[in-house]
Amino acid sequence: MEARLANPHAMMLRYGLLSILAFIVVCPLAWLALASLRPQGEIFQPVSEFGWSTFVPSRFTLDNYRALWAGDFPLAVKNSAFVAVSTVLLGIGVNALAGFAFAAFDFRGKNLLFLLVIASFMMPFEAIVLPLYVMIRAFGWANSYQALIVPEIANGMVIFLFRQFFASIPRDFYEAARVDGASWLYIFTRIAMPLSWPTIATSGLMLFLSQWDSFFWPVVAASNPDYAVVQVAIARNVNFEQSDWGGLFASTNVAILLGTIPFLLVQRFYVRTLISGGIK
Amino acid sequence: MSEPMISSRWTPFLFLAPALAGLLIFRIAPIGVALAGSLTGVSLMGEARFVGAENFRYLLEDAQFWSSLKITLFFNLLINPLQLFVAFALALLVFRPLPGLWLYRTLLVLPMAVSTGISAVLFGLFLDGNLGPLNGFLEWIGVGAQPFHRSQEQALYTLIGIATWKGAGYWMLFLLAGLYSIPPTVYEAATIDGATSWQRFRFVTLPLMRKPMAFVLVADTAINFLFFAPVYILTSGGPAGTTSLLMFEAYRAAFTFSDIGRSLAISTILLGIILVIVVLEFRLLRSPEERA
Repeated sequence: MEARLANPHAMMLRYGLLSILAFIVVCPLAWLALASLRPQGEIFQPVSEFGWSTFVPSRFTLDNYRALWAGDFPLAVKNSAFVAVSTVLLGIGVNALAGFAFAAFDFRGKNLLFLLVIASFMMPFEAIVLPLYVMIRAFGWANSYQALIVPEIANGMVIFLFRQFFASIPRDFYEAARVDGASWLYIFTRIAMPLSWPTIATSGLMLFLSQWDSFFWPVVAASNPDYAVVQVAIARNVNFEQSDWGGLFASTNVAILLGTIPFLLVQRFYVRTLISGGIK
Repeated sequence: MSEPMISSRWTPFLFLAPALAGLLIFRIAPIGVALAGSLTGVSLMGEARFVGAENFRYLLEDAQFWSSLKITLFFNLLINPLQLFVAFALALLVFRPLPGLWLYRTLLVLPMAVSTGISAVLFGLFLDGNLGPLNGFLEWIGVGAQPFHRSQEQALYTLIGIATWKGAGYWMLFLLAGLYSIPPTVYEAATIDGATSWQRFRFVTLPLMRKPMAFVLVADTAINFLFFAPVYILTSGGPAGTTSLLMFEAYRAAFTFSDIGRSLAISTILLGIILVIVVLEFRLLRSPEERA
């Protein structure tokens, strides 16, 4: 019945366009990954010698990564991992509780509070970075892990996703458990949460990516190198006129891989959730 | 009656408390701080004194502010329609089934996982005049090397290109959701009525995509008004101030010139612009709803 799928010219055209676009997306990433495996002396290759050797190293080596491991970059990786994992774990717990409350209970002010949640995710975080910094300094939190983690835990979008999921479970289900004497906390942790693992996976990735992409806030809130996350550590080292190209290439590639691997693992749920529930 | 079931009147509020406290303290309260701070002269050391609208008056008299505002508006006028157009084109390309489509879809959304700052570093290297392969390629085909973010003429457009590389796949997903939500029967009816594929696109797809397109355009605009990391990493507002977007000016006011009042005044103006956009968004999203 799909007449257009059968049309070989239209199909070729689509493959052609998709291939060009995918190439544009992948080319810089592939070039960086390959260049990070070059011997240090070969990285700075003048652009005028364009050819295969621009992309393919003469010899593959992990020296750039080994050198990276000896410096302060591992600390930045550790900081990023700690900040991201804490945010994901705390964020799933806190936001799922709120989503459950919106789905399972009727209470005064529910609509108003839900409007607050919606409004909070319409407001991009960058807009409030500077006033938030003024507040965090007043708390005495500047240059600390809690400055990086705590403000990112509550997330309106994640609350919204959990509410959508928990609302799809019939309320009788919860109330039957109540009749059997289960507490609400028991219902939440033992019944509702185990059912919601695709939402947990999606929300986890969403919280991870929000931390992973956060740049302005860590630059402002944690200027001390001891708390620098990967992005900030790399940005501080960039002057594009340096000698340690190998280190810059390798660290940038590590940063990209660390973001890409969780994304590829959970991508299927994530894309499906955005597609089905993204714009209700 | 299920009345006694909900005997625990406070339970919902206990469940909500941690998340709502987080949103109130870290999302809503800073808006108040921005307003209050923009009306005071606060140094980074923390001494504050009330100065009324003085910060705003200074801003309005400052040529630098007007130039940044103009650049920010120009930037948004270009980047938002461009990203919407590219994202829509991508969505149309990956919408109908095609063998191997999952691979293309994954590759197109891959930049979502690359953080904005890292994408700036990546393109700083990729476009570099000494070692970037793109310039090698441009010389090889005879176009000649380009200065990209290092020239007054190309810097802003380079930033737009980098942001579009990073963002198009993400916005594509929302438009794809919109395409999926159009019932196939509408197309079948149009085909039976003799509509050509262009007419189906013009009179079925486009009108029914109004809501998701409005959503993407407005959400994208709210984000791009706050564009920061690539400016910080690649251009520092230069060359010659051609990329001094307002968010970067707010940062510079606070951390280079220790003028928190000015910085918060710029933040307040940006918050105002975004508030207008969000209200506009709700309007645009509501009107097609009424027809449905």
